[in-house]
Amino acid sequence: MKTLPKIGIILVISIIFLQLSSFNSSSYIPSNNLKEQPEFFVLEWEEGTILNPKDTGIIFEVDSIGQHEVVLLVDKNDSPRLFASDISTPVCADGECKLMHIKLYWTLLGEYAGFDRYPGLPLTKHDHDLFVLEDYQKLHRLLTDDKSILERRTMGKLVEKPVMREVNGVDALSGATVKEVKESVVSGALYSCYVAWHLVHGGIQDSIREYSKSLVDDQLVIHMLNSNNKDYQLFALNSLSKGQYEENYQRIAEIFKTGIPMVRGFIIKNLPESFWETNELQKPFWDAFSGIDLNSRSFLLEHLDSAPDTIIAELSSNLGVMSKNQVKAYLANLEKFEKINPVLQHNLQNFAKSDNKAYSYLAHEFLEDR
Amino acid sequence: MLLSIHLSVRAQDILVEAESFDNPGGWTVDPQFVEQMGSPYLMAHGMGNKVKNASTEVKFEKPGQYHIWVRTMNWVPGNWEAPGKFQLKVNGTLIEKELGLRSGWGWEYVGEAKIDDKNPTPLELVDLTGFNGRCDAIYFSSEKTDPPSSPKKLAEWRTKITAEPNAPKTNNEYDVVIVGGGIAGCAAAIAAAEQGMNVALIHDRPVLGGNASEEIRVHTLGIYGNFERILKKIDTEHYPNGSADAKLDQEKRDNNVKSYNNIDLHLNWRAYDAIAEDNTIKYVDARETRTGERKRFTAPYFIDSSGDGWIGFWAGAEFSYGRESVDTYGEDWDEHGELWSPKEADNAVMGSSVLWGSRDTDTEQSFPDVTWAMPVAKEHIEINGEWQWEFSRNDLNQIDDAEEIRDHMLRAIYGSFANAKKDSVNKNRKLEWVSSLVGKRESRRLTGDHIFTFNDAKEGRKFTDGVVIETRAVDVHYQTVLEDEDNPDFISEALFYKTPEYYIPYRSLYSKNIDNLFMAGRNFSCSHAGLGGPRVMRTTGQMGAAVGFAASLCKKYDVNPRDIYQNYLDPYLALIEEQKYEKIPDTKQ
Repeated sequence: MKTLPKIGIILVISIIFLQLSSFNSSSYIPSNNLKEQPEFFVLEWEEGTILNPKDTGIIFEVDSIGQHEVVLLVDKNDSPRLFASDISTPVCADGECKLMHIKLYWTLLGEYAGFDRYPGLPLTKHDHDLFVLEDYQKLHRLLTDDKSILERRTMGKLVEKPVMREVNGVDALSGATVKEVKESVVSGALYSCYVAWHLVHGGIQDSIREYSKSLVDDQLVIHMLNSNNKDYQLFALNSLSKGQYEENYQRIAEIFKTGIPMVRGFIIKNLPESFWETNELQKPFWDAFSGIDLNSRSFLLEHLDSAPDTIIAELSSNLGVMSKNQVKAYLANLEKFEKINPVLQHNLQNFAKSDNKAYSYLAHEFLEDR
Repeated sequence: MLLSIHLSVRAQDILVEAESFDNPGGWTVDPQFVEQMGSPYLMAHGMGNKVKNASTEVKFEKPGQYHIWVRTMNWVPGNWEAPGKFQLKVNGTLIEKELGLRSGWGWEYVGEAKIDDKNPTPLELVDLTGFNGRCDAIYFSSEKTDPPSSPKKLAEWRTKITAEPNAPKTNNEYDVVIVGGGIAGCAAAIAAAEQGMNVALIHDRPVLGGNASEEIRVHTLGIYGNFERILKKIDTEHYPNGSADAKLDQEKRDNNVKSYNNIDLHLNWRAYDAIAEDNTIKYVDARETRTGERKRFTAPYFIDSSGDGWIGFWAGAEFSYGRESVDTYGEDWDEHGELWSPKEADNAVMGSSVLWGSRDTDTEQSFPDVTWAMPVAKEHIEINGEWQWEFSRNDLNQIDDAEEIRDHMLRAIYGSFANAKKDSVNKNRKLEWVSSLVGKRESRRLTGDHIFTFNDAKEGRKFTDGVVIETRAVDVHYQTVLEDEDNPDFISEALFYKTPEYYIPYRSLYSKNIDNLFMAGRNFSCSHAGLGGPRVMRTTGQMGAAVGFAASLCKKYDVNPRDIYQNYLDPYLALIEEQKYEKIPDTKQ
């Protein structure tokens, strides 16, 4: 598992520590309740929501000079919704340190949920310039990326320039790392970004996840299933029983239609067998066929054998959006029919005749062989 | 003369293999997809600039009027001009019909030509676009009967028309035959040769190194482990992937491997079959990629460093492909869940890369319209490609669909560069280099006595036969489009798991069920997640050296690879220790 990066050790040397010892890092007490959606936020927020804090006992060790408490925010029904912590921590570069004030939010799965800035305490860049709105937005995007390059590079490596040789006067190509860092961090604020990212994605995540385990019940799982957050969706889909899959098939089909490809793939691979035995349950998934990504279509086509004939016929109008191997799989499935229904035959012939379709030749060969 | 011409029994039909043209001009021989589309072919890889004509001469036995077909494919059919168009010139006359228009590999009718039997007939392939037109073969017949297109019928037809006997005429015997001259194969060849073995190294490219070669340009990563002395002869500097610096290391590598007199190096030879009897491989057959000449390679031991595990596959070795379900080996990593190891098995393996680059010049540079590339590139803007330029999709097999994967990447590259050219800052920028080769990360994994998994790396498991050592983080890739449909589908992301030092046991380097088969490289015995760490090329090089030395002991004791682990582990480990240092010549002792 990931361990808490030694931010304090990396960034705060003893002299700096002396300079900072006068700061009272626990001067920010988590606010009593949260009435508005955090300014930068990844989850949905229902108008009128009020979240109240509850102690968790989770202590957030930011650095050698301060500890912060992580609170659980619950709604009016006492249902858990978010974790939050008020942070003020030193950011040091080239021997100079400044305090960074930020209120961080995590989802119930310990993922980054968002942040709030404090009025009058803006984030600053290395050259003392204040963050502007675009900078905060970029920081938000960076924090949303749980696989950022900042995870696997030390500050030293991040500021290092790649060494290149030259061959025959030809330019060597620029390093991917340099480019990736440049694109992901706020210009002039690498240190702040680095610290913030590691605050969010450090060992605190494991503590939150551990704490969250005791909160999970059916109600919470269904709440997550109804969320648009992919991690919530996956967690819920992983937790549902066969019966719950069937009860919630319409919502699951909706996620299949609107979710990200990874979640779609998960759904198809993990639908209970009963879905493939019941036309009504599988129909909404086939109905989504033309609008979903190629990967998900492939997973779906693995169930062609179980699809009702009406679906097989309808799919013939979608041959043009299929990949080569999907067309092959579809045509192979048709071998089981002694006689092809007229609508399907018509669609196949039309497809076979279309010169501008990459895989029309496959339909042509298929018809020729029959 | 290189030209491979085949006369039919009627002596009125002639099949000319394009790859055998006397002078390929600016066309490149592409032998990567022989197993799928039937033959090496010529491709006009001009990056948007028309390439020089390929030319040859054909001597016809009978004069007369001949019908002509070319075997070709429009590699991007759609509502646009086909990108890879070309024409055929016969006897100095350009035949009007544009070619490269049909979807899927098959024959296109060209027209008719009058052929004289007194003088050889010159043929030329005339590229019209510079964008990857391709020609497999040209067929002349006095009758207007289309040759077959379906792969099965075509193979039978080809065998008939070429009147090719089943077995190659020549049989060459060695102590060990190594197939695949990537870093693993080179290291294996050197190790075996140093121990006095008579080695055949078969490689289907003109230069050695595979993914590390100047043709693909991926730098070598990982540590040297026990084999620093050998690996330094063949590895690369840590240049950016795609850098022309690869050329410097190319020279070093080729010279070093060629310096061993007992390595019989077969460059531009591609293995096409391996036959096993009683679970023992008897021989490997290979074909010269241009002339079509064939040879049989016989040996008591074989090393499969082909990357795709072809030798094992043909010989019937057990293998795996795809991502195992998380429960198969318990390879879960909570933080990345489904992306790391899926609940249900699938084929979302790590993808293949096609690296590329451009450079600034002093003058304005134009770049052609590439409408046909845009459905793939979309709005993506880039001026060079690094490792993230990678493509995998669940319905695509990295071996069987490699041509489609390569072509998808070409569209991504040309389209993204065309987008970049719209910015005036890039007006002097020129597309300098685009690989035409697929740089694969993951394909077949041959099964050994031990299957190396993520857990072996994560826990730093020690093995008595842990001959390969690595410290590099386990790094598994996935396509970013899986997380966001708006992302380009040709860009990947890496998930790094920091491990302690870990070890790969020798038992992962020989086949479980083929008694005389070693494997080294990405086709070694591992799980999908297990491959994440050791797939880099110093590690695969360690595997190669390890099996090269093991093979020498197999010969010494007249035993099979498994016996080395069971009965000769001590001498094997002693040999690995001993080889670390250059021997002082007797004269200087």
